[in-house]
Amino acid sequence: MADPATNGSGDVTIAIARDPALVRTVRLVAAAVARRADCPDTLVEEIRLAVGEACAVMIGANQSPAAAAEQVEVSIRAASPFAVTVTGRVEAEEPGFEDIGLDPWALLRGISEDLTVTEDQGTTTLQMSWGR
Amino acid sequence: MDLSLETRQESGRTIIEVGGEIDVYTAPKLRECITGLVDEGHNDLIVDLEKVEFMDSTGLGVLVGGLKRVRTHEGSLELVCTQERLLKIFRITGLGKVFNIYSSQSEATAS
Repeated sequence: MADPATNGSGDVTIAIARDPALVRTVRLVAAAVARRADCPDTLVEEIRLAVGEACAVMIGANQSPAAAAEQVEVSIRAASPFAVTVTGRVEAEEPGFEDIGLDPWALLRGISEDLTVTEDQGTTTLQMSWGR
Repeated sequence: MDLSLETRQESGRTIIEVGGEIDVYTAPKLRECITGLVDEGHNDLIVDLEKVEFMDSTGLGVLVGGLKRVRTHEGSLELVCTQERLLKIFRITGLGKVFNIYSSQSEATAS
């Protein structure tokens, strides 16, 4: 279940079960935080896409029962630059993407001004930011 | 907004009008739709994305998979899309060169 929390600065952290049905909720939260931070509409759309894409790659469409018990955490910092950190285990296997030479982060690299991907003991952390 | 799928036949093609959001949750429904049509012998598909409000790489993967599937039957899968936010996704991933993307269904059926 989605569990949003704010710290009074407009920043939001949300943790969801690895359920594809919950990714839309995270997208909506990210877009709402971006709007509240007075991001222009085009940037709000990019942030919505980036957060949805990051969660999609982390969670994947085909869930194993073991993976469903884990969580993906999304932290959104509403300051400038607007920053999003997504942490979890990468599950997705994009059918067709490898066949055309694309890595799973190809879309994110194109829509985030600054994307960093790090992995530590099976946990992947994505850090994305956008200037305004 | 969930995913809506409407199919019909026109000029020897099968048109799939997609609406709503194609994401990691809904993309399997689109995959099932395309797979089902091809299994029934409909190998020339036009996927109209004009009413799509959101699409991630899972959706792109389904379209790429559909293209590969119809090509194994010597068919075609073409797209209708004029929305800049979706066209940008195709450009970023290089898929704009993989798909034929038309501005209207009539333009796609005339191709």
